[in-house]
Amino acid sequence: MFQTDSTTETFESRTDWYRVGLTLGALLLLYYLVPLASLLLSQSPGAVVERLGDGYVIAATRNSLVTATASTLLSATFGLPLAYWLARTNFGGKNAILTLVLLPLVFPPIVSGMLLLQVFGPAGLGGLLSVEVTRSLVGIVLAQTFVASPFFVVTAKAAFESVDRRLEYASRSLGKDGETTFRKVTLPLAKPGIVAGLTLTFARAMGEFGATLMLAYYPRTLPVQIWQSFLTDGLDAAFPVAVVLVGVAVVSLLVINALGRNPWRGESE
Amino acid sequence: MTLEISGLKAANDAFTLGPIDLTVDEEILSVLGPSGCGKTTLLSLVAGILDADAGTVHLNGTDLTGLPPEDRGTAYVFQDGALFPHMTVRENVTYAADSAAVVDELTETLAVADLMDRTVGTLSGGERQRVALARALAARPDALLLDEPLANLDAPIKRRLRFELRDFLSQLDIPVVYVTHDQRQATTMGDRIAVMRDGTVRQAGTAEEIFERPATRFVAEFTGSVNLFTADVLDRDDDGLCLAWGDTVLDAPAYGVESDTVWFCIRPEYVMLLREDRPVDERDNVLRGRIRRRVYQGDDYVVEFQPDAVADPIEIRLPTPVYERLSLDDRDRVRVSLKKRAIHVVDDAGVRSE
Repeated sequence: MFQTDSTTETFESRTDWYRVGLTLGALLLLYYLVPLASLLLSQSPGAVVERLGDGYVIAATRNSLVTATASTLLSATFGLPLAYWLARTNFGGKNAILTLVLLPLVFPPIVSGMLLLQVFGPAGLGGLLSVEVTRSLVGIVLAQTFVASPFFVVTAKAAFESVDRRLEYASRSLGKDGETTFRKVTLPLAKPGIVAGLTLTFARAMGEFGATLMLAYYPRTLPVQIWQSFLTDGLDAAFPVAVVLVGVAVVSLLVINALGRNPWRGESE
Repeated sequence: MTLEISGLKAANDAFTLGPIDLTVDEEILSVLGPSGCGKTTLLSLVAGILDADAGTVHLNGTDLTGLPPEDRGTAYVFQDGALFPHMTVRENVTYAADSAAVVDELTETLAVADLMDRTVGTLSGGERQRVALARALAARPDALLLDEPLANLDAPIKRRLRFELRDFLSQLDIPVVYVTHDQRQATTMGDRIAVMRDGTVRQAGTAEEIFERPATRFVAEFTGSVNLFTADVLDRDDDGLCLAWGDTVLDAPAYGVESDTVWFCIRPEYVMLLREDRPVDERDNVLRGRIRRRVYQGDDYVVEFQPDAVADPIEIRLPTPVYERLSLDDRDRVRVSLKKRAIHVVDDAGVRSE
C-alpha cells in the first residue's frame, strides 16, 4: 500500500518534468523557425528573384564561391595530415596542439581579423613582400582559412578515429605499406566524415564576415555585401544577397545529413 | 620454415611480457592462457604491430627486428576477422593476393567461393573467419598468426569449425601460432601447446605432456585438473615416491622430485571405479569411500567421491555406459583405485615459483 503510493507519486512527478522539458524544447524550436518563416513571408519572392540577377549580387556570389572553395581546398591540404596525426598519436603534447587547433573556433572572428591584419597587412608580411593582401581575394582566403579550417581538422580527426586500427594493422600484416593502407583502407572508411568536414568548412567560409571585414573588405563577399547593402539601402536591399547565403547553408546541411548514412554501415545493420 | 622467438621482452606501465623463447616449425603451436596473460601482445610483437624492448624474432633465418609489419611475412588474423567493411568478400580476399590461382584454390578449400560478391556486413561469424583466413593466406605469408579466431562464435559452429580449421591448418607448410584461452581449442589445434601466464611461458609441450604431466600447479589448474592435492613425501627411491595423504598412503611416480611436500594430480577420467566383485590389489592405491554427488553431463557422468581417509573429494568422470554397467545409481559405498602411473606429481618448488 505504502509502496504503491510512492510509486504513483514518482511516476506523476516524472510526467510533470517530461512536460516541462517538452515545452522548453518546443519553444527553442519555434525560436529557430520564426525568423526563417519571416524571411519567406515578409519578402515577395518575385522581388527577391528579380534582384538576384543584379551585378552586385552576382559579383559577391562569385567572390564568395571562389574564395570559399580555395579556403576549403587549403584546409584539406594542410588539415588532412594534421587530422590523421592527431587521431593516431599518443604523444603527450597532443592536447596542447588540439587546443591550438580549436583556438580560431572560439576567437571572436573580428579579433582573428585584427591579428591577421597585423601579420599579413601593410605593416606586416604584406608590406615586407610588397603584396597587397588587404584588398585582394588572397586576403579573403587567408581570413576564411583561419576561421574555417579548424572545422575540417576536428571533423576529419573524428573520422579517422572512427576507423578501427586493427583494419590498418591487418592491411600492413598482409604486406601493404603504410601509404597503400592509408589510400585503400583508412581514407575510404573515413571518407564520409572527411566530406562532412569539407562541407562544414565550406559553409563556414561562405558565411565568414568578421575576420574578412578586418582583413579584406574589398572585393566584397556575400556577407560583406549584405552589410554594405544594409548600410546604404536598408534591409530590403540586403535580402536577395541573404537568400543566396541561406541557400548555400541549406544545401550544406542536406549534404551532411546524407553523409550521416554510411553506405556500408547501412547494409550491415 | 621456422619461426624463432628468443628472449623477447616488452613492457608498458601496466604489463611486462617475457622473456619469451619459443620455436615454431611447420606446425601449429597453440598459445594457451587466461585473458591478460600477454598472448595477444606476443602475437603483436611477432607481427611488428608492437615494438619489442629486447629479444629477437627470426623467420626462416631472417631477423625481423625493426622491420615494419608489411615486410615480415607474418599474416595476422584478428579475433573478429578485421575484414575491410567497405569492400566485398572478393575485394577482401584479393586485397593482397599473390595470384588468381591461389585465390581460387583458397576460396574453394575454405568454402567461401559462394560468398565472393557479398558485402562483409552480411556474413555470419563463421563466414567472416573463413574469409579472413582466405585473405591472410592469399598473401602467401611465411607464418600465420591467429588471435582467438573462434572466440565470438556460437557453440555448435565453434565445435564444427574447430575440427575443420584443424584439418585446414595442419596442411599448411608454414609455422602457425594459434592463440586461445580455451583448452579444448588449444588441444584440437595445436601440435604443441605453450601455456602462458603473467607474460611468460610456463610450460610448452605436446597436449599429452601439458595435460597429463603439468609442470606447475597453475598449468594443472588451468588445463582443468580438478583433482589437485597436496601430500607429504614419506619415502623415496628410484622407482617412486611414497606419499602421506590424509590418513592414507599412496604410491606415486618419482620424476626427480626433491621437496618434502608436493602437489599431485590425477585427471578425472583416469580414476578407476572398481566393480564390487573385483579382487583388489592394494598396491594400486585403493581408497574406500562414498559417492557424494552424481551429475549427468549429456555425454558422460561426473561422480564426486569422498574417500574415508581424506578430507578432499575426488572427481571421477565416467562414460555413460560405464556408469550404467557399474550400476552406480544404486550404490553409495564404492572402491576407487588411483593407479600409480596415472598420478602426476608437481614438485613443490614449481608451486612456489608461481
